[in-house]
Amino acid sequence: MPDLSLDIRGISKRYAEHTAVNALSLAVPKGAVYGLLGPNGAGKTTTIRMILNIIVPDEGTITVLGRPSTEGAVTDRIGYLPEERGLYKKMQVRRALRFLAELKGIGARDADRRIDEWMERFSLKTTEKDWGLSKMDELSRGMQQKVQFIGALVHDPDLVILDEPFSGLDPINAQALKDTVVDLKRRGKTCVFSTHLMDNAERLCDSVCIIARGVKVLDGTVAGVKAEHGGNNVALSLAEGGAELVAKILADHKMVERVDDSNRFFEISLQRNADPQALLKRLVESGARVQRFELVQPSLHQIFLERVGAKGVEPGMSGHG
Amino acid sequence: MAKLWVVIKREYLERVRTKWFIITTVFGPVFFLVIMVLPGYLTVRGLEEAQVSNIRILDATGTGIGHRVADQIEAQRANNPLSKVPGRPLASSVPSVVEDLQPAKLVNAESVSTRLVMQKVAKGYLVLDSASLTSHKTRYAGSNASSLGEMDIIRAAVRGAFLSSRLQAAGIDPKRIDSLTSVKVEMSAERIDEKGRGGSGIVNAIFGFVIAFLLYMMIMLYGQNVMRGVLEEKMTRVAEVVMSSVKPDILLAGKVIGVGAVGLTQQLVWFGSSAAFITYGAVMAKAMGMPEMKNVTFPTVSPMLGGALILFFLLGYALYSAMFAAVGAMVGSQEEVQQAAQPVVMLLIASIILVQPILLNPTGKLAVTMSLIPFTAPIIMPLRMSAIQVPAAEIAGSLTGVGLTCWAAIWASARIYRVGLLMTGKRPNLKELARWIKYA
Repeated sequence: MPDLSLDIRGISKRYAEHTAVNALSLAVPKGAVYGLLGPNGAGKTTTIRMILNIIVPDEGTITVLGRPSTEGAVTDRIGYLPEERGLYKKMQVRRALRFLAELKGIGARDADRRIDEWMERFSLKTTEKDWGLSKMDELSRGMQQKVQFIGALVHDPDLVILDEPFSGLDPINAQALKDTVVDLKRRGKTCVFSTHLMDNAERLCDSVCIIARGVKVLDGTVAGVKAEHGGNNVALSLAEGGAELVAKILADHKMVERVDDSNRFFEISLQRNADPQALLKRLVESGARVQRFELVQPSLHQIFLERVGAKGVEPGMSGHG
Repeated sequence: MAKLWVVIKREYLERVRTKWFIITTVFGPVFFLVIMVLPGYLTVRGLEEAQVSNIRILDATGTGIGHRVADQIEAQRANNPLSKVPGRPLASSVPSVVEDLQPAKLVNAESVSTRLVMQKVAKGYLVLDSASLTSHKTRYAGSNASSLGEMDIIRAAVRGAFLSSRLQAAGIDPKRIDSLTSVKVEMSAERIDEKGRGGSGIVNAIFGFVIAFLLYMMIMLYGQNVMRGVLEEKMTRVAEVVMSSVKPDILLAGKVIGVGAVGLTQQLVWFGSSAAFITYGAVMAKAMGMPEMKNVTFPTVSPMLGGALILFFLLGYALYSAMFAAVGAMVGSQEEVQQAAQPVVMLLIASIILVQPILLNPTGKLAVTMSLIPFTAPIIMPLRMSAIQVPAAEIAGSLTGVGLTCWAAIWASARIYRVGLLMTGKRPNLKELARWIKYA
């Protein structure tokens, strides 16, 4: 077994009305970028909170960096960016960051040096202006988001956990976050993040786990998951006005299992025995101008829809795992 | 423990740095002086400075007693040491006007006088008629009729006038009458307890009141400060980041201790400046023209009383701030929090509205009961202790009760806090709250 950064075995968390997480097991290798995917309410945040020992699982064990997660010292080596973000509004930025660093056992002087590094890197501290001396609520939203990344990373954690990190980010900060994740991986850190944005996950993650209704649907490396679900998949682009012409063909369930229609772009899963060549022929005959027709592996998005589907969030579909 | 220290440090420094803290610390004593001492001082001073000036005496008795009343009023004024201070109203008093009338003209004279009072030419008028001679009934009407001090002076003057006229009727030399009837009485009230005589009763009562009020204010202000701190962490979601580094119990403890330390800092500054004020205050008071405080010995705080005061403050503060913290963790918005805090605030207010009746009878049933109920004891017991000697068994019982309740409140609050900080949405009802406590 490879060196694991995070080893979750059979954790469950039940509330009075529902089961948030049910017998979930995960293994995240050291140095991996790991995506925890699932629709809203799938139990991602509950799982993350259990990893961080903020809530205690009813069953199961969690091993973080080789130690039980209940050990206090181990949380000092985790960096956490929660989904709902905020910092003390009236507190000076530098003091707030120093407080977070000190809570992780970093000395004040050491913390100051690291805060400077990060502030400069995110251009919150330039020769003209040091935003560290401002109060939190004097910063723009984008700047506050940067401060929050710094808060999660200032103690140089070995395991970084980001809960829906891309939600609410502007494109510039989203790029900064991606760069940071790549940089963390380069430095041998492990990064776990939850998201329901499959594009991001597909580009960033080495491995993923899809959960729905508190139950694991599938997990594995991105390449492995795709290979497993590889089949008759076609990526199709049409010129203007083509969509109406092909609508009937794509609705033919003898040939097409499902279509993800993005107006100009279609991701098509063919029935197992259907011939892509026959589809192309019919498309050409319809008069639509085909700009792209490519046999592809399914995207994570496609796999997610196939395995979880719109039904994934409804009752009675927990048998997926 | 290192993390507890980090939390305490933040809570303390962030509050001490605020302008609000500096302002309340510097001006707190001034504020107390204004809301607690000033009304009392003004009342006393009002009584001292009470003067009857510019009234009309309508004398229809035909005995000239009206002039005696006017003389008595003037003598009273002359006896007041403040009448010799230039610039004081007493020094520039308008003497009374006496009208000797036929009884038949009294009605007319009264309506004229009423008009004069309405036009603010005179302050009021006193009616002396034949009934006054037989049954000692007199009437006064004026714009100052509700001034207790001034009515006292007029009553005393009328009484003195009747007395001297009777003495004269009994054949006593009018010259001796004045010296015989003018007796000035001063009574000082001194408290006696097990250890003997000590301090003046009124000073102890004031001291007790000040202590109770201070305790109440500190618990209320800083308990709610804890509540707002918790609510801020919950609403800004910073709680979740912090809880990924530190256990909620430590976070709660750090908050309560840190805010408590802010309160103690403020108290120390206040007590320090009060001590300085008492030491140098007499000089200042004299310079400001206030009457000298004679026979006022400030109560000496025994180590036992001092220790008990601190213990009750700490326990009371811990008890209430734990409850306030739970409220802060329960609610989801600033609007809700005031309403949700009401039950806790009520418990505190119950203590303070009982301060006066308990001060009047510190050994009564109400006083004893309230000083043993854990929610009122932190304020009522110190109040009683500074007013009277409370049996040691009662103090011990009260402390035990407060201590146990405090422990239970902290235990339950920590659990509500742990669950509540991560909860959003509607405020829990009592049933849900019980479940939080059970499953946390």
